[in-house]
Amino acid sequence: MEEVLRYWMRWPSVEHLIYSYLWVWGVCQSLHFVGMALLIGTVGILDLRLLGMAKQFPVAAIKKLIPWGVFGFVLCLATGLLFITGIYANVNIHPYVVLKSDVFLQLKLFFVLLAGANLLLFYVTGMSKAVDRLEAGDDAPLLAKFFAGASLFLWIAVMYFARLIPSGKFQP
Amino acid sequence: MQEFLESIENSGFATYIRETPSVLGYSTVLALHTFGMAFLVGLSGVIALRVLGVIPELPLTPLKKLMPIVIVGFWVNAITGVVLTSLAIVSLSRNWDFYVKLASIVVAIVALTKMRRYAFADPNARDDAPSSPEARRWAKLMLFFWGLAVLGGRLTAYATYIRIQSAAAVVVAVMVLLLLARFLVRYFRARATTMASSSSTLSTRKVEARV
Repeated sequence: MEEVLRYWMRWPSVEHLIYSYLWVWGVCQSLHFVGMALLIGTVGILDLRLLGMAKQFPVAAIKKLIPWGVFGFVLCLATGLLFITGIYANVNIHPYVVLKSDVFLQLKLFFVLLAGANLLLFYVTGMSKAVDRLEAGDDAPLLAKFFAGASLFLWIAVMYFARLIPSGKFQP
Repeated sequence: MQEFLESIENSGFATYIRETPSVLGYSTVLALHTFGMAFLVGLSGVIALRVLGVIPELPLTPLKKLMPIVIVGFWVNAITGVVLTSLAIVSLSRNWDFYVKLASIVVAIVALTKMRRYAFADPNARDDAPSSPEARRWAKLMLFFWGLAVLGGRLTAYATYIRIQSAAAVVVAVMVLLLLARFLVRYFRARATTMASSSSTLSTRKVEARV
């Protein structure tokens, strides 16, 4: 299993790109931040509305922001993949070793998964459709508020652990 | 001047934040700086997108309610930014990229204030009313300088020639992203129009069938 992961996680083409063009890492970091700001800006507004802030928004109107949030997430995912698969070119440590030993990276990925599961439950439980009917001034159902609060908490946790990744201990 | 900057960098507070092995030191200050940026740039960016007419369905006036969170984001960023600067103030004072970042933040904040003033000038404006040309102008300026501030912040750790290469690469990346965003906006607008027209056709057919 370890050999398979070691083989799949290191992408020589990405490493070559990072070796050849020194600006790639910094630009991708900037794009990662832009994606994060888009994601937090759009999903954050929906979460805050469901929690009872700025109730003047009809929820259906706020949901028009979702494609921008998805765009931000895709930007983060693409650049994040580049960081993991090409990390050897930056710090000379195998990505498998980083993933195995950096508890903060593990926590970040775990919280991203939790945020995804939270979103899935939001749709599966029918809360997504229920909040679509909320007009300006309407209060969201308690379960929708729970999902919104969890979403805000989980994305903030993702940002927090992401910032701690460089201080994680790598043990080759 | 140099001695003064060195005394700040070597102060007990700066040394503790920089050198403590606890995650509550440097990493947490950096994380708070990121939270502040996400809320400041993210929420003000969404307001700017509405002002620019990218999301016309979103009512404009209630967006004003988000301004307190934007302001909290700014102050979190300002305080953590001062702390982070104090940790390496000697090298940062010789880094032109750092000044580009600071200048960009100042222009973006001025543009945000102006955009807010023009966009929310009329409290009785219709929710779907387009924003004034002044508000749109300041919104564009703010988005541009937020982008520059984020880029400048990320690149302070790199050598000058990498920063120049990065700036050129970002120009190309921004062009591609703008084209992509334009395509997405047109696609979703066209889809919304098609859905609206098909639902009105359906209801017309139902009425005809009843008649």
